[in-house]
Amino acid sequence: MSRSVGAPGTDSVWAILLHAPIPTAGAPVAMSSQKTKNDWNDESTSEISVTLLPLSTEQTHSVLEMVQGPGSPRHYELYRPEMVVGRAIDADVPINSTDLSRRHVLIKRAASGQHQIMDLESRNGVFVNGVKIHSATLHDGDSVQLGSILFVYHEGRAT
Amino acid sequence: MTFFVHFWGTRGSIPTPGHMTKKYGGNTSCVEIRCDDSLFICDGGTGLRELGLDLLNRGGRPITGHFFYSHTHWDHIQGFPFFTPAYVPQNTFHVYGTAEGDRRTYELLSGQMRSDYFPVDFGELRSNIVASHLDGGARLIDGCAVTFYEQQHPGRSWAYSFVKDGIKIVYATDNELDLTLPDPKSVLTNLSAPRPIPDAFLRFCHGADLLISDAQYFDDEYEKKVGWGHPRATTVIDLALQAEVKQVALFHHDPMHGDVDVDRKIALCKERAAKVNPNLVVFGAREGLELRFG
Repeated sequence: MSRSVGAPGTDSVWAILLHAPIPTAGAPVAMSSQKTKNDWNDESTSEISVTLLPLSTEQTHSVLEMVQGPGSPRHYELYRPEMVVGRAIDADVPINSTDLSRRHVLIKRAASGQHQIMDLESRNGVFVNGVKIHSATLHDGDSVQLGSILFVYHEGRAT
Repeated sequence: MTFFVHFWGTRGSIPTPGHMTKKYGGNTSCVEIRCDDSLFICDGGTGLRELGLDLLNRGGRPITGHFFYSHTHWDHIQGFPFFTPAYVPQNTFHVYGTAEGDRRTYELLSGQMRSDYFPVDFGELRSNIVASHLDGGARLIDGCAVTFYEQQHPGRSWAYSFVKDGIKIVYATDNELDLTLPDPKSVLTNLSAPRPIPDAFLRFCHGADLLISDAQYFDDEYEKKVGWGHPRATTVIDLALQAEVKQVALFHHDPMHGDVDVDRKIALCKERAAKVNPNLVVFGAREGLELRFG
């Protein structure tokens, strides 16, 4: 995939660092024979004293996306270290379906940051990518089926 | 009675850490089979290190474990020196050979801990490590019948079967199944035709609830690796179909295969299986996966 000049991303960052205006997508980029700080034809690199910028501390939670089931599509953020999915009203992720046991499955964040899914001796079992499991480490894009309810697991970004 | 099967290492030949292998894992062969209170450990590749740590976290009771090695090539023994429970005095581990007096596995495990290779000598392990054997091909351990089968691999290798109360788990890695076919070269004339698996191995695997099988190569790769000791993944599907197993875990992933490649291998195998038996469950063994039977 290619990206046009001025699209959000690294070009914008460079533009900010160089105190230059950010061209908007689709807008013509002014070209000049004069040497400017954002002259794309200039092959020389200015030596500067680099000031380290603050690292991003943005954290996004992993998400269970319900793609089939009551009220789908729905997204459930896995914001706690341990979350129970089940039919019980006090489950962390309550699903109103008789296919599910009251406490059907536990999703636990391991020290590694990865999520592990564990069957809590449910009546109808837990299927990850079509395989009936007792427990498994989840990876981005895994399908998780509980009864007739289908989720897709999306890995978040931890700090 | 309940069996649990946990995959701690599923990679073949050499550990392959890194983002390319994040999903299926980079640790070499190690599978834990728990049958009620009995602990069976199939191979001690680098996945064994994490199994050891997990065992210590499960509670304070002394551990008794039974090691079954497919063979003693590096990728199947390298985890043993890092298996922490072997350093704990109260624990006991049996290391099985296939016949009385067969101490080859035991000797190689201790040999790899000589000072040339590792800073801690085998003699310094504080647990009770016992060289044992399967009596004439079979042994009853805590009510679980364990049998073995000699496979096709450079230097030999063994598959193991674990049966209790009608549940059967087969661990069969490092097995060049394709060389055991009656006419191996005929496969190339029609890759989609069923490949007849020898009766003896079919009987050994027959009806398994789970077959864990070496399935290292794509069809086209195999042609360049004949004699290396590993099969076409598609031949393993024919084994699973003909032996009427319920589930097959594709195991011993090639170190050159990233997750994307393994996904593609699984998809091809599922496609082959579905043409004959849509109920056969085909999946890729991956680290952290635990299945329950019974």
